[in-house]
Amino acid sequence: MNKFRKLTTAIAVSLGTMSLTPIVSAETASSEDDVILSVPGVMPVGALEMTDEPGRWFKDPTDGDSLVVVKPGDAVLIKMTDVNAEHTITSLLWQPGAAKFPVDQDKPSSASVTQTFDKPGLYVFTCKVHPYMFGAVVVDDPNTEGLDLGSEIQLVTGAKVPTTSDIAKKLLRTFFVATTPSLWRDYSKPNWDLKLPSIPLNLGGTVISLDALNVSMPNKLSNPATPGVGEVWVNAQFETIKGKSKPGSATQVDAANWTIKKKVKGVDINMNNPHNMWTDRSYKYIYQTEWFDKRLVTFDRETGQIYGALTVGQSPSHVMSRPSDDSLTVALNGEDRVLKLTGGKHPTAQDSVNTGPNSGPHGHHVTHDGKYALTPNALAGSVSIVDLDSGQASTVPNVGVIPIAIWGDATDKAYVANLLGTPPLLSTLSVIDIKSKQKIKDIDLAADYDPISGKTTGEAYGLLPIQTPISPDGKYVVTANTLSATITITDTSTHKVVKSLPCEPGCHGVNFGMKKGGGYYAYVASKFANDLIVVDMDKLEVAGRVMLADAKDADIVGNNGMGGQGVLPLPVADHGWIEQTAKLAGSGQLSAEVESWLGALTTAQRGIELSGKIVQSEGKH
Amino acid sequence: MSLSCILRRTSSFLSSPLLLAIFFIPIAQAEYVPAKTDSVSGSTHRITLRAAPLPSGQFGYQMVSHKIQTAGGQTEDVTARYSDKPTIPGPAIVMTEGDVAEITLENGIPNTDQPVSLHVHGVHFDIRSDGTMKMLNGVADEAAFPGKPYTYKWTAAPGTAGTWPYHDHTFGNPMLGAEDKGLFGTLIVNPRSGKVPALINGKIEDVNVGDIKREFVLWMHETTFWGMEVNNILKGKQVPLWTNPTVGARLGEKVRFHVIGLGTAFHTFHLHGHRWLNPGTTHVVDTVNIGPISRDTFVVQAGEGVGTGDWHFHCHVIQHMQAGMMGDFKVVK
Repeated sequence: MNKFRKLTTAIAVSLGTMSLTPIVSAETASSEDDVILSVPGVMPVGALEMTDEPGRWFKDPTDGDSLVVVKPGDAVLIKMTDVNAEHTITSLLWQPGAAKFPVDQDKPSSASVTQTFDKPGLYVFTCKVHPYMFGAVVVDDPNTEGLDLGSEIQLVTGAKVPTTSDIAKKLLRTFFVATTPSLWRDYSKPNWDLKLPSIPLNLGGTVISLDALNVSMPNKLSNPATPGVGEVWVNAQFETIKGKSKPGSATQVDAANWTIKKKVKGVDINMNNPHNMWTDRSYKYIYQTEWFDKRLVTFDRETGQIYGALTVGQSPSHVMSRPSDDSLTVALNGEDRVLKLTGGKHPTAQDSVNTGPNSGPHGHHVTHDGKYALTPNALAGSVSIVDLDSGQASTVPNVGVIPIAIWGDATDKAYVANLLGTPPLLSTLSVIDIKSKQKIKDIDLAADYDPISGKTTGEAYGLLPIQTPISPDGKYVVTANTLSATITITDTSTHKVVKSLPCEPGCHGVNFGMKKGGGYYAYVASKFANDLIVVDMDKLEVAGRVMLADAKDADIVGNNGMGGQGVLPLPVADHGWIEQTAKLAGSGQLSAEVESWLGALTTAQRGIELSGKIVQSEGKH
Repeated sequence: MSLSCILRRTSSFLSSPLLLAIFFIPIAQAEYVPAKTDSVSGSTHRITLRAAPLPSGQFGYQMVSHKIQTAGGQTEDVTARYSDKPTIPGPAIVMTEGDVAEITLENGIPNTDQPVSLHVHGVHFDIRSDGTMKMLNGVADEAAFPGKPYTYKWTAAPGTAGTWPYHDHTFGNPMLGAEDKGLFGTLIVNPRSGKVPALINGKIEDVNVGDIKREFVLWMHETTFWGMEVNNILKGKQVPLWTNPTVGARLGEKVRFHVIGLGTAFHTFHLHGHRWLNPGTTHVVDTVNIGPISRDTFVVQAGEGVGTGDWHFHCHVIQHMQAGMMGDFKVVK
């Protein structure tokens, strides 16, 4: 090229005509540019690779964390690298007014995104199917002091909040905790010290240090004074285990003495992110969903032997039986279906019911009479009422943002937790009338919380609710709130939050078990801690905190006892199921252990003294 | 006569058909002997490639040196054609049937003990140039370790004309390699005849390879096109086009597209306003199926019958279109 330029210049000079010179120089200056007509696309300067690895769900390949810092105008590639299921890449929060935002893939797939960022500030991505998979991009203007987070953040719910607000700081702290296993609350240590580095953060002009988000509190375990009856299965979904590339176990806790009986790890089948469980009426089998995968695992409750891992579909989240016949229903969170299967040792798929386009049903619930499966459609913001006999589904639209778990009571009411609330409410439980197929009301779980100052003025303090079962006596809804790390207890007669109890970072799973001598315990598991909280439902108080880590188990290589999600106490306390098991007492079909559990129950716990409504609905079926 | 000369004669006798006939004909199942390829007639490419990280944490191949020695003995250094940084896709290596290439791969990935390799499709190579680990090929770990380059030999034998992928087969996972992270590139073997069939002005004709002005390499990975232009007007100058680019040509220029798949997804490549020959057939198409590591190469005359404009190209799988898997074929006067 230089040679060509020199040559033409020489000719121009030799011609000596001033008039020609401008034309020639114009040609020579642009000659190479003129030949290349292509325009390159963006070159990503950063990457977030999605994985099934606990915490590292959006992993920066250069340093392994979940945060990429770029300059304005830069692009980041977000792709699915080491995942067994399909996901979405979706903006959870972003900078108001940023070009090409929000990012949202409406359906789970394997599609990647190359995103350009023009406006300085914080951007957080998640997956709508697995909404605690977090990855962040900070677009930092090098000319300003500190790391730019922007003055405001736009949330996917439509709310816009200042970055100096309490809610923004809570989201930021949760982001760092969720994505950094070393910051999880480990009860094998005397204290939980959440120590973040001292990095200046620029919140639209206000500069604070990241370590202002630090937390320190003592870790105190204690066994409930009154034992429970039976056992509690908890999915320690994030435990990393020798011989497996994928995380998670089903941890079996003895409710009589609060010790760990065993952990079912599924090494041979590389059990992947076990999320939720159910059982058959004789408590012989445990059915286990692999939420970041495609399978339903069946194992033996007593021996832990794996009987099979059946491919059922994308991201099976919850499994529940119909009490009437022990057949199974599995919500396919990465699809639009509830799958119906036979029960027993080797479940086989029979049929599926469509829950509507882009619905992504998550924590479904089967009604006590076995007639309906209720599905919270996380992606569609709706609830489906699935008639399990006819296969017909009716939809209650516009329930909330990411309805994630639902529970039907013995009447015709169901409560659904909306992870991101019902705008403008930040955090809600919606009450659904099953008969009229309508939403009756939204209960504001955070009515007593000021999102700007962080002040709480009453019990209603629950942010980002997840599992939300109704106590077997029908009196309370107990909700695990992951952002506020609280357990809220809502009175079903007044629809008011009557109690808010301290939980753990990543508070997630709740279910009821039997308290010895009568009454119930609510068992609460948390993703980013390794204790199981026991709540006494007679006193509405925390009765104890039980360890889920097994320090003696050398096969657990990391996150010991962490990742608490699905909780399955046995005997199943819910009406509809307990009666079916109680019927088998003395028939020889139950193990001696299960017989002894049933023998320890009060008549009320065995479901003999049922309310008129339950008897009626059972009769209908 | 020198000693080496004697040795050469002896060895040529040992491998002569006569000797082979004497010793091997009586044996019913003679060992398969690959056909000897005539490598003397073409050029020899001496190439040094490096696998290196990109700022994003992905990896790319980078051209360190490319010298071409013609059959006549002249050597031309064409390194300046290439980007001096690692790119995705990697450098497009252009050969002609009859050429051979000796490619030394350097491992430029810091803080790793993982080997990185070069596995090529389409051309001939012996088992030592397979670019796999011993656990797969049974012979050797054919990969570059940190500080230990590995040299491969490729022969663009007659019958290997076409566009072929090369990619890593070892990094991070000895069964898979890291092609998914950007370690892939393109080998273009032009036919010895110098002509390729194409649909020009509505008729099938043989186009001189020398008349192709621009080559657009488009890799289809997940939901992204990764592009590279080889500009023949500028003697093979390579322009990295990165993700979902605009490729540009002048009206009436003959340009060649090389579309290659990668990963797990299946794609349908569609270019608006243009038609081309399905290779080896007389079928005229405007959309082709592209699966992992399968490809289509075709020549079009830019804007033929339709004129200038921004001619959209994209994957026609709806979900991939929604994810932005598209670009622009800009045809200007």
